[in-house]
Amino acid sequence: MSSSVDTAIFVKPPTRVSAYLDWLQMLTGAGLIMFMWSHMVLVASVNIGPNVMNTIAYFFEATYMAQVGGPIIGATMLLHFILAARKIPYTSDAQGVIWRHARMLHHTDTWLWLIQAFTAMVILIMGSVHIWTVLTNLPITAAKSAMRVQGGFWGVFYLILLPMVELHVGIGFYRIGVKWGFIKRSGRKKFHRFENIWTGAFILIGLITIIRLWTLPIAGN
Amino acid sequence: MSRQLKFNIFRFNPEDPNSEPHTDTFMLEETPSLTLFIALNKIREEQDPSLMFDFACRMAICGSCGMVINGRPGLACKTLTVELPQEITLMPLPVFKLVGDLSVDTGTWFRATNTKIESWIHTDQEFDPEAIEERMENDLANSIFELERCIECGCCLASCGTANMRDDFVGAFALNRISRFIMDPRDKRTDPEYFDVVGTDQGIFGCMGLLACEDVCPREIPLQDQLGILRRKMAFQGLKNIFKPKEKGRHRRF
Repeated sequence: MSSSVDTAIFVKPPTRVSAYLDWLQMLTGAGLIMFMWSHMVLVASVNIGPNVMNTIAYFFEATYMAQVGGPIIGATMLLHFILAARKIPYTSDAQGVIWRHARMLHHTDTWLWLIQAFTAMVILIMGSVHIWTVLTNLPITAAKSAMRVQGGFWGVFYLILLPMVELHVGIGFYRIGVKWGFIKRSGRKKFHRFENIWTGAFILIGLITIIRLWTLPIAGN
Repeated sequence: MSRQLKFNIFRFNPEDPNSEPHTDTFMLEETPSLTLFIALNKIREEQDPSLMFDFACRMAICGSCGMVINGRPGLACKTLTVELPQEITLMPLPVFKLVGDLSVDTGTWFRATNTKIESWIHTDQEFDPEAIEERMENDLANSIFELERCIECGCCLASCGTANMRDDFVGAFALNRISRFIMDPRDKRTDPEYFDVVGTDQGIFGCMGLLACEDVCPREIPLQDQLGILRRKMAFQGLKNIFKPKEKGRHRRF
């Protein structure tokens, strides 16, 4: 640490900016976690029947929630990225530091953060592409989703995006819990295990859904 | 038969222009209840008198012998070799200035940080040496003491991702220290004043919650809980009077 004197101290009074940004980072994160889990459950409705998914999709479009909510979610994702990226090192020097640090420490929670940072970059690109594709091609129907997945390219695309998103939100959920003191020392292990199982369950539901869309007969749906 | 321990020890003397950072290997026979502190002394006595490392109390109270033990920051005196594999790699703590080999200067860092966060009781009460000591509830005294147990060994800083990346982050040590003063009724600082000290990205909002500090702290101070409490407290303090930001803290707003 530098022990030099901050000569700007008198022109820069303490502000509340850090507090606001930390709030926003957490709240946008929490919002997106809730959204992603709901999103997964709603898409998984195709496993019950294509008509169930179609009905749900129709509801969201008839109420304009998709048309208005979709871009809002996209913007929230970008905002969350900008806020959280403040913590991610940009220079290769600092990136080297955290990489070597993680390799030295053999510490799960430190690795989880690196996974969060890596998946964030993938989600930023692939998530944006996904949002654009879906929202410029409304209405959402099981048949259209199935067609996209069966094209091959999008099938692989979602096979990559699914675990990235679920890992990111699962770890984020755990991180908010321990960072904001909702989970105490005594409950951390249990919470961690819960988060692992929960994330695993969502990845499994997602895989089943992708397989279902891949095998769904398109005609008639 | 006892194990032959293999020690890989980081060697570098910044004072010596001919010295290059490298690793030296030493073999040592494991004896019952062998700690790293005893092992290092043996190596220095029997194999290499130039080996530099710090120790004073040999009982996890002075905080001098913090080092990176097989990747994890910990105290040499508190670590038994039986808990470790046959090959043991010792490195100096990162973040702090290297004195030589395994010895680092934690003192300068802690002094500067304690000054920065004003790590003392702030009171306008005049000290009266004749008066009976002020009373405090036992539970409160105990919970303050729980945080006061920190020995400034530096393991929390060395294990912290943020502190390794950013040299202006005050670390779990300072945040725990401030928590201790917040609890103490004798410290007359107000919440806005504490906010000025740690309500920043160099303070609690710089913490990313990786919890390595919690996991390596040799004194097992409840850092996870304290950091959580402090983050919530400071975050809510940041929202107070959000629409009239001219409240008076220690620093006047412009």
